[in-house]
Amino acid sequence: MVTPSPSQFRARVVDTRALVGGYFVLSMEGPAQPAPLAAVIPGQFVMLRGEWGRDPINPRAFSVLDSDGDGRFSVMLKAYGRGTARLCAMRSGEPVTVTGPLGQGTFVSPSAHGPTQLLVAGGVGLPPLHLQARRAAAAGLASRVELLYGGRDRDDLVLLTDFEGWGVRMHLATEDGSLGDRGFVTVPLQRRLQAAADAGEALQILACGPTPMLRAVRAMGLRHHVPTFLCLEEEMACGFGVCLGCAVPVYGDKPYEYCCTEGPVFEARRVRWS
Amino acid sequence: MTAPVRSAASLRPEQVELACRFGSLSLPHPIMTASGCFAYGDKFAPFFDLRRIAGLSTKGISPRPRPGNPLPRICETAAGMLNSIGLENVGAQAFLSEKLPWLAELGISVWVNFFGEDMDSYVECARMLDAGHDRGIDVLEMNISCPNIKKGGIEFGTVPAVAHELTKRCVQATRIPIVVKLSPNAADLPAMAQAVAEAGAVGVSLINTITGMAIDVRTRQPRLATTYGGLSGPAIKPIALRMIHQVHRAMPQLPICGMGGITTGEDALEFLMAGASCVQVGTANFAQPAIGPSIRDELRDLMAELGIARPADVIGCIRPVPPEPAWASEAPEPGSAS
Repeated sequence: MVTPSPSQFRARVVDTRALVGGYFVLSMEGPAQPAPLAAVIPGQFVMLRGEWGRDPINPRAFSVLDSDGDGRFSVMLKAYGRGTARLCAMRSGEPVTVTGPLGQGTFVSPSAHGPTQLLVAGGVGLPPLHLQARRAAAAGLASRVELLYGGRDRDDLVLLTDFEGWGVRMHLATEDGSLGDRGFVTVPLQRRLQAAADAGEALQILACGPTPMLRAVRAMGLRHHVPTFLCLEEEMACGFGVCLGCAVPVYGDKPYEYCCTEGPVFEARRVRWS
Repeated sequence: MTAPVRSAASLRPEQVELACRFGSLSLPHPIMTASGCFAYGDKFAPFFDLRRIAGLSTKGISPRPRPGNPLPRICETAAGMLNSIGLENVGAQAFLSEKLPWLAELGISVWVNFFGEDMDSYVECARMLDAGHDRGIDVLEMNISCPNIKKGGIEFGTVPAVAHELTKRCVQATRIPIVVKLSPNAADLPAMAQAVAEAGAVGVSLINTITGMAIDVRTRQPRLATTYGGLSGPAIKPIALRMIHQVHRAMPQLPICGMGGITTGEDALEFLMAGASCVQVGTANFAQPAIGPSIRDELRDLMAELGIARPADVIGCIRPVPPEPAWASEAPEPGSAS
């Protein structure tokens, strides 16, 4: 797939919206004409860094949550470490250095007669699947995608009203049972896979979330012979194929591919996980 | 406080002549990019015109391709990062046929960083890369200092006699000038520099990353799969400056290419003043791919402000802090002190 060359540009924070569960949506505005992220594909990401001197030294990678043609775009994040804590604390007007769009491996679009796409999300893995659902709805294909979303408790599941508004079917799960099934997202996924198997329905799984979740989803997809695509996150310093930090173990001609350039979306079967 | 030195009145930026020399090599300015932080150059083409840097040092090349280390390979630390990439590279043949032609067309100084797994494979690599003589390779930067190679590699970077032998054999294997990238993990840097210079190296690069580690207290595991890795970034800059200063003081005629945590023009000027003839920018390229040209511009503006007309005027120029008056129990009488 041919994607636009990445560029580095300056943007300004235009809104920091706190969601429940410690999640934030950081909205930024960059150059408008052309808007570097106008044609961003679900799964593509940006590297973000505020103007905070030499520490932390590296930018942080975020899947694009949304992007319009006028230079406005957003990401969703949670304060996990020093970099994300600083980004969560940013105020409107503050400058951000952005590199993107990054990533060549992206989610495939749903089609009217293709398989139903199960969008399996957990934690900060929601954004690429949120964008996938938004695009599907805009193309009149909301019925071709379904969200399967798991979290610790009901506050760990965010932006649900967006999916409701788009008319996307949702299967929720929480570990404490406060919303949807009690347990991991694999509970509704198992049920959904079984129903499809019984009905002879064709499915695809697109997943993004914590690595333990992705490992479980991969195993289930393989077991049920459902084409499964994982949007991975690895430690990366640059995001454009130079630091070689974000290697992903794969089967094939070479033992590793790179999350930033060949991913972040990988076919689950090819990922070399135990 | 000592009064600032003004070698002349401030200049206009266009009056600064940034051209400099590394031994017999002419550079348009002192700012290059460093091995391992710039791949083979091509990944940076979307971000800036590479002719705006004086040169680059490629990812370390070995005789045959290497796949690299298991995960995790990097982790961030205070003002820096640890890496254990494992010297992953395309190998000498693929470098010569697929990467070098594009690099050579840029017309900037191409330094090819190389290494081997034992002494014979170092020599083999130098011999293979010799095919790049007159095809665009200006310098072979011999990496004797990467912490991420297992087989006996530590001695190349830490024992002067071994480094001398290795350098001598590689110098004999190629017509391309060899610059040796020294390990900060060596006990006596000036002795190492002397050993490789006497073996025919035309200069030295310093410093490579410093061996370090980080621990995840929750999992009780090291943050790198290989436990130890190389620390880079601004955290190591003071150590780099000290080592460059020591080597320059011991061997003032030996050209030094300095690196270690440079992120600004002022950082670059510190390296020149410590004794470097040119510098390489490393880790900072990850966050800001076009930082090389920015540092060049910042260096020119700062030199103008300080009235420095040429880099050569300040290489190794630092003066000792003047001594303070001797202590006495009584302050001198007013009017008697100097």
